[in-house]
Amino acid sequence: MIKFYEKRKIFFAISIAIMIVGLVSIFVNGINLSIQFKGGAIIKYSFTGDLDIAQVADTATKALNRNTEVQITEDLATKSKKLVLNLSGNSGLEAGEQDKLDGVLKSEYPDANLEFSESNVVQPFIGRRFLQNGMIAIALASIFIILYVWVRFKRISGLSAGVIALIALVHDVLVVFFTFTFFKIPINDSFIAVTLTIIGYSINDTIVVYDRIRENKPMFNKKPVEELVNSSLNQSLRRTINTSITTVVSVLIVYVFAYMYNIESIKTFALPMMIGLLSGCYSTNCLAGPLWVMWQKKKLLRTA
Amino acid sequence: MRTNKHMYIIVVLLIVCVALVAYFGVNAGVIQINGMNDIRFGIDIKGGVEATYEAKDLDRIPTETELESARIIMETRLDSQNILDREITIDKTNGQILIRFPWKSGETDFNPQKAIAELGETARLTFRDPDGNILVEGKDVKESIVQIDNKTGKPVVTLKFDSVGTKQFADATAKLVNQRISIFMDETMISSPVVNEAITGGEAIISNMGSIEEAKALSEKINSGALPFSLVSKNHSTITPTLGIGALDVMVKACLVAFAFVGIFMLFYYRLLGAVACFALVLQVSVQLLALSIPQITLTLPGIAGIILSMGMGVDANVIISERIKEELKDGKSIGSSIDSGYNKAFSAVFDGNLTSIIVAIILMIFGTGSMLSFAYTLMVGCILNFVSGVAISRIITKSLSMNKPLRNKSLYGVKFKEAI
Repeated sequence: MIKFYEKRKIFFAISIAIMIVGLVSIFVNGINLSIQFKGGAIIKYSFTGDLDIAQVADTATKALNRNTEVQITEDLATKSKKLVLNLSGNSGLEAGEQDKLDGVLKSEYPDANLEFSESNVVQPFIGRRFLQNGMIAIALASIFIILYVWVRFKRISGLSAGVIALIALVHDVLVVFFTFTFFKIPINDSFIAVTLTIIGYSINDTIVVYDRIRENKPMFNKKPVEELVNSSLNQSLRRTINTSITTVVSVLIVYVFAYMYNIESIKTFALPMMIGLLSGCYSTNCLAGPLWVMWQKKKLLRTA
Repeated sequence: MRTNKHMYIIVVLLIVCVALVAYFGVNAGVIQINGMNDIRFGIDIKGGVEATYEAKDLDRIPTETELESARIIMETRLDSQNILDREITIDKTNGQILIRFPWKSGETDFNPQKAIAELGETARLTFRDPDGNILVEGKDVKESIVQIDNKTGKPVVTLKFDSVGTKQFADATAKLVNQRISIFMDETMISSPVVNEAITGGEAIISNMGSIEEAKALSEKINSGALPFSLVSKNHSTITPTLGIGALDVMVKACLVAFAFVGIFMLFYYRLLGAVACFALVLQVSVQLLALSIPQITLTLPGIAGIILSMGMGVDANVIISERIKEELKDGKSIGSSIDSGYNKAFSAVFDGNLTSIIVAIILMIFGTGSMLSFAYTLMVGCILNFVSGVAISRIITKSLSMNKPLRNKSLYGVKFKEAI
C-alpha cells in the first residue's frame, strides 16, 4: 500500500518544481500565440533541391512589401522538404496578394518545383474572438464541473471536494500550458481542445477516487481520515494505472505516427495531451487525495 | 431484460451488423445509410478552402440584405464553376460571410487564392442583346422588387432604372421589340425575357415567373449587381487534397494500431472481460461513425481525436468495471453475483466521469469555433455511447457468457489462480 498522505511533501515539492520549470520556460521562451489567435499568415510549399532561406525571405518581403520570415522543414517519413513562409503583423493577407506572391515565387525559383501545399491566413480581430471564446469555454467548463462535484459529493463534504478538485484541475491545465511554452508550441486551437479534454479527464480521475472515498466512508468512521483516503486511493490504483497506460499509449501511438509523417496539427495536439493525461493521473492521487485529508483534519481541529 | 446463456450470440451478431453497416453503408432501395466512405470530411482532411469575407473599404457593417445579395453572387459563381458541395454562412453580427468548399483531388490547375479573390469581386450585371453586346449595366439599376401582377395574379419582377439606365434601356428595348434581352451576372445568364414593346418610363416588368421563389431569386440577383462594395478575404486557409488525404491515412493507421494495442492489453489483463470490452468498443466506434455519416456532420482532424478520446473513456469504463468484478471475485463471491455487484458499484464512477465530459463537450459546442465543433460532437456522442455500449450492452454480454458452464472459471476473469481459491 502506498502511503499517499504521508508522502505528500514529496509530491507537493515535485509539483512546485514543475510549476517553477514552467514559469522559467515562459520567461525564456515567451508565450507564443499562434497566428490563429494573433493574426498573420503561414504559407507552405513543397519543393525539391536547395533554396536559400534568406533569399526567399527577401523575395517575399519585396513582393508583399511586408516582413516575411522563412523556414524549411523536412518530413521524416517521406523525406520531402517544405518551405514555410511566416507573415506576422497586424493584418491578414488578401487572397489576391497571396496569389501575387505565389506567382512571384514560382517565377523567381523555377527550378525548385514549388508546389502549394497549405496556407492559413487570419485576421487579428477574428483570431482574438476565437481566443476569447476558447477562454470562456475553459472557464465555464471548470465552473460547471466544480458545481457538479459539489452537488454529487455532498456526503464527503462537497465544498472541500469541489475546491480541491479545482486545485487539481488548475494544476493540470497549467501543466498543459507549460508544455506548450516549454516545447515552444504556438498556442492554437488545439490548446483549447487539449485543455478542455484534460479538464474532463482530470476530473474523471478525481471523481473515481472520490467515489471510492464516498463508498468507503461508512466503514472508516472510527479510523483517521488519512487511512480512509490512503486505502481508497490504493483500491482504485490498479484502475488508475491501467486506464492511464491504455490512454497514454494510445495517444503516444498517434503522436509517433504524426511525428513520422510530420503532421503538425496532430503533433501539437498529441504531445500536450499525453503530458496532460499523466498530470491528471498524478494530481488526483498525489495532490487531491492528500489535500482533501489536510482539509478534513483542519475541520476536525476546528470543531474539536 | 432477463439474460439467458445464448443472449451473447445475438448481441455479438448485432454488434457485427452495426459495424458492417457503419463501414460499408447500406444501399437497398428505400433504406439508404451512408457508410464510412460517405463521411463528410473537413478541409483539413480532404483538402479545400475556407474563407471569411468582409466588405472592402466600407466604414460600416454591411446590412443583412447586402450580405444576402453578396451570398447570392457567390452561390451563382460557385454554381458556374460546378462547386456544389459548399457551405456558405452569413455572420450578421460581424458582417462577414464564411465559405467552405472542398478541393477535389485531381484538380491540379486549381488556383485557390485566385478563386478566393475572384469570388469576392463585385458582380458585374449586364443587359445584353442576342449578339452579346452590352446595352445597360447593373449599376444603372436603381432597384428590383417582386410584385404580384394585378391582372394575372402571378408574381413579376419590377426593375427601376436611374436616369442613365432609363435612357439606355429605352434605346435598347426600342431596337429589340419581339427579341430577347438577356441579363448576365458576370458571364452567367440569369434571365432572358422577350421585349414586348419599347420601355421609356424607366420601369420594366419581367413576367412569366414560375413561382414567387423564382421571382425572388431573380430579383435578388439583379439587386446584387448594384452592391456598393466588393468583398475581400483576409482570413482564409487552404489545404491541398494530397496533404489532407495523407493526414487521414496516418490518423486511420494510428487509430488501428492504438485499437490493437488496447485490445491486446485488455485481453491480456482482463481475459474474458477484456474480450467483452473490445466488442463494446467496436460498437461504440461504429455508432459514432454512423452518427457522423448519417446526418452528414463534418469530421475534422480534432474530431478524430475526439473519437480516440472517447474510446479511451470507453476503455476506462471497462477497466473500472473489470477491476470491481475482480475485487468481488477475490472476496469469494460467485461469478454471477460478482458481475452484478461489480457493474452496480462501478456505475456511479462511470456515470459521473462521462457526464462531466459531456458538460465539457456541450460548452465547447456553444463556444467552440470551426474544427473544434467536430471534436465536441464526437466526444459527446462517444460519452453518451459509453453508457449504452460500455455499461449496458457489455453487461448483457458478460452476464450471458457467465451462464455458460465452460466460462464459469474465475481465472477467465483475470483473477490469478492463487487468488481464485
